[in-house]
Amino acid sequence: MDVRLPQLAEGVESGTVVNILVSEGQEIQKDQAFMELETQKAVGSIPSPASGTVSKIHVKEGMEVSVGQVLISISTEKGSTTTASSAVTATVQPKSQEAPPPRQRQETGDGDLRMMADYRYESQAGAPPPAAPSVRKIARELGIDLTRVKGSEAGGRIALGDLRAYIQRLQQIAFEQRAPIAKGPATPTPAETRQAEAVDFSQWGPVRREKMSALRRTVSRRMVESWTTIPKINQFDEADITSLLALRKMHASAYGKKGAHLTLTSFLLKAVAAALQKHPRANASVDETTHEIVFKDYFHIGVAVDTEAGLIVPVIRDVDKRNLLQLSQELHELTEKSRQRKISLEELQGGSFTISNQGSIGGSHFTPIIYAPQVAILGVGQGQAKPVVIEGKVVVRTLLPLCLAYDHRVLDGADAVRFMKDIIAGIESFSDRDVKIK
Amino acid sequence: MEPIKTEILVLGAGPGGYTAAFYAADRGQKVTLVEQNPRLGGICLNTGCIPSKALLHATEMLREAKESAKRGIAFGEAKIDLDKLRAWKDSILEKLGQGIKGLAQKRGVQIIHGRGHFEASQTLRVETAQGQKFVNYEKAIIAVGSKPAMPSAFDLGNKRIMTSTEALEIRDIPMDLLIVGGGYIGMELGTVYATLGSNVVVLEALPTILTGIDPDLVRPVSRAAQKAFKEIRVDTKVLKMATAGRQIKVTMQIDKEQREELYDRVLVSVGRVPNYTDLGLEGTGVTKDEKGFIKTNPQQQTDDRHIYAIGDVSGGVLLAHRAAKQARIAVESILGEASAFENIVIPAVVYTDPEVAWCGLTETEAKQKGIEIKVAKFLWGASGRALTLDRPDGLTKLIIEPETERVLGVGVVGAGASELISEGVLAVEMAATARDIADSVHPHPTLSETLMEAAEVFYGTATNTLTRKDSSQH
Repeated sequence: MDVRLPQLAEGVESGTVVNILVSEGQEIQKDQAFMELETQKAVGSIPSPASGTVSKIHVKEGMEVSVGQVLISISTEKGSTTTASSAVTATVQPKSQEAPPPRQRQETGDGDLRMMADYRYESQAGAPPPAAPSVRKIARELGIDLTRVKGSEAGGRIALGDLRAYIQRLQQIAFEQRAPIAKGPATPTPAETRQAEAVDFSQWGPVRREKMSALRRTVSRRMVESWTTIPKINQFDEADITSLLALRKMHASAYGKKGAHLTLTSFLLKAVAAALQKHPRANASVDETTHEIVFKDYFHIGVAVDTEAGLIVPVIRDVDKRNLLQLSQELHELTEKSRQRKISLEELQGGSFTISNQGSIGGSHFTPIIYAPQVAILGVGQGQAKPVVIEGKVVVRTLLPLCLAYDHRVLDGADAVRFMKDIIAGIESFSDRDVKIK
Repeated sequence: MEPIKTEILVLGAGPGGYTAAFYAADRGQKVTLVEQNPRLGGICLNTGCIPSKALLHATEMLREAKESAKRGIAFGEAKIDLDKLRAWKDSILEKLGQGIKGLAQKRGVQIIHGRGHFEASQTLRVETAQGQKFVNYEKAIIAVGSKPAMPSAFDLGNKRIMTSTEALEIRDIPMDLLIVGGGYIGMELGTVYATLGSNVVVLEALPTILTGIDPDLVRPVSRAAQKAFKEIRVDTKVLKMATAGRQIKVTMQIDKEQREELYDRVLVSVGRVPNYTDLGLEGTGVTKDEKGFIKTNPQQQTDDRHIYAIGDVSGGVLLAHRAAKQARIAVESILGEASAFENIVIPAVVYTDPEVAWCGLTETEAKQKGIEIKVAKFLWGASGRALTLDRPDGLTKLIIEPETERVLGVGVVGAGASELISEGVLAVEMAATARDIADSVHPHPTLSETLMEAAEVFYGTATNTLTRKDSSQH
């Protein structure tokens, strides 16, 4: 019998084989662990659904396996007709390469459609999907993944006609998905959202319509993208900025003489850059195409600026290599450029982290949206005087509300807390030497 | 001086470089081709594929003439005129070199002869006989190839220690020739010199000659070489070489025993190294891989987005036809087309006697990766055409994916294997099944029938050989 990778947890579709605990020909007991698998959640072992002899191991250490894939074959004493027991809820399907279990998508119940969505060419030899070079070239030009196209010819070879049929079917599905909107679909697609907006509000009273500016549309699109693709978590905390404010007061005029505004954001840039150096994952991005985390050896921090036209996020380069004076000057310059809409596209690109400081307007805690493909953003509210207990006494200190929103694909809760604590420690430990102009 | 402005700069005019230049020109680009040698064509034309095949063809006559006696046609003693042989060989190179030059000119490709050195990502300095020239380009394609490796311990500055480049000059026919390295270059040139009359000894550090090729394809070559050569010693390392008058004293280690021997000439054929030294790549964003070859993505683009690299200098298998394919991919990528060096079958040929050729998946690779395959073999002893050619020493095999019967690889050893393999390439590229090959009628009597017969062996229905279906299983 073939033992397939069972559904491990909700949302976990695949994992990496880290350890194979049995060898071919070995006896195995029911519920005995035969393999360790690393998923995005944890490392877990896979128990055998039956007792018998391991007749074949189909996977190798380091291999990525998906739910439904055959891991090992066991010959049981009763013969090979036994199906997988319920010990693991393995999806056992008849032997065929086009049968990974259905993914979570539940479309209109169209079996044909589901079969199409689930089809994936697999070759034990690791060979590419069988198709002539001319067909492969057309698929490449159209951006069609041939592993999704079922071939009709001998050996499963994909003919041009198969590719055409596949594309026509995709188009048909696209139309079919629009059709049931009137009935109220369970999961809205972007196309449906557009439909939903086309409500006639004037039936309840007078309305006024205004075109969204290009900037507004960009912000809108990016926020939807971020919100729908990133599994994000918000981490709240507060930093004591009493002594920082005193430092700022002391040095503000000296900075002013150099034409710089010593703002709280300058300090935050400095503290965040130092913390990012200690926590490279917070400065990383996810490459979905290669399943890699891209670590950046530069620290370019975006600062959200409120302008008349809307939100603009200019990026300050190499924050780690600059002193407070330089940061203050550059921040002021970029902010002004943004407000006057003189900022270049280049100055808006390449950020590896973002700070959104609402303090000057007066906000408290808020949950910022991650600026994809970055993996974290720091939201800062207005510092407020609050009673704080220090060494058993209640004293009044100025506390700065902070919220770190982060991408859970890259950062775990513990990482995020440590990162946040380092930011706070940085904010609270500025000394006269750090601020004084040399 | 005003720098020259061009759209595509190609550095190196070997089979990769001139293919790239011509294709780019055919696609309407302004192309400049820089080559340091006076004759275009690169290693392949000047000191590689072409001269070696000319010599192999010429010397093959000697062997044929000798063997002919047993078939009732005897010739007298052959006379070898080395100067004439060399001149004939050189005339081919000249003809082909001029041909490439003519094709370049007709396409309007500007040729600059000189050494290229990158000044920046988009500027090349060329040291020409007329002084320095600067070329500003939009995209560059590096195709500077590779050269024979010469370990410093053997590099005594003695002309009797040769690489393939010098060996192809055939200055003389040495009485005793040692070949260090039993790869394809050593075996091909060994065949030339052994046929000309040298006592050839091949030393190979590994346990077998032609390492990496399926053992059943190597066996007929080994058998023939053992007859033609004086000796093939595997598991043997050269420790030292020293000049000893008009000979070379070679110290070698066989098992634990050291031995010293004298040779008239030594050919060092231990691999090839990329040719990028002094190119000024440090002034660009180009990076190298762990083996020292230029790193590229599947579009042949280096880490510097203005610069592409193709052929030997970009690593992988060092073959002219691979370079030419990559040339087209690089040009298409530059033109913004969807093109990638992915899942492309690159055939390989060794021009020994008999020849070996293969493409796609090999049995060796399948075994290493634990891939389940079926192998269908047809031995040439059962081929009528092979017997009429007096060449029964051959084998044709198909590597087949069991459940789909798709042909994943083809291997051939035997006379003319180099020409037979193209059908294999077509089969693998077209994802043909064994049934497709078996059902395609092949002319009789030909060696190409062996491919059809091998496919029939897979089904247990070959006409000229008795097979039970399971006997061919792997």
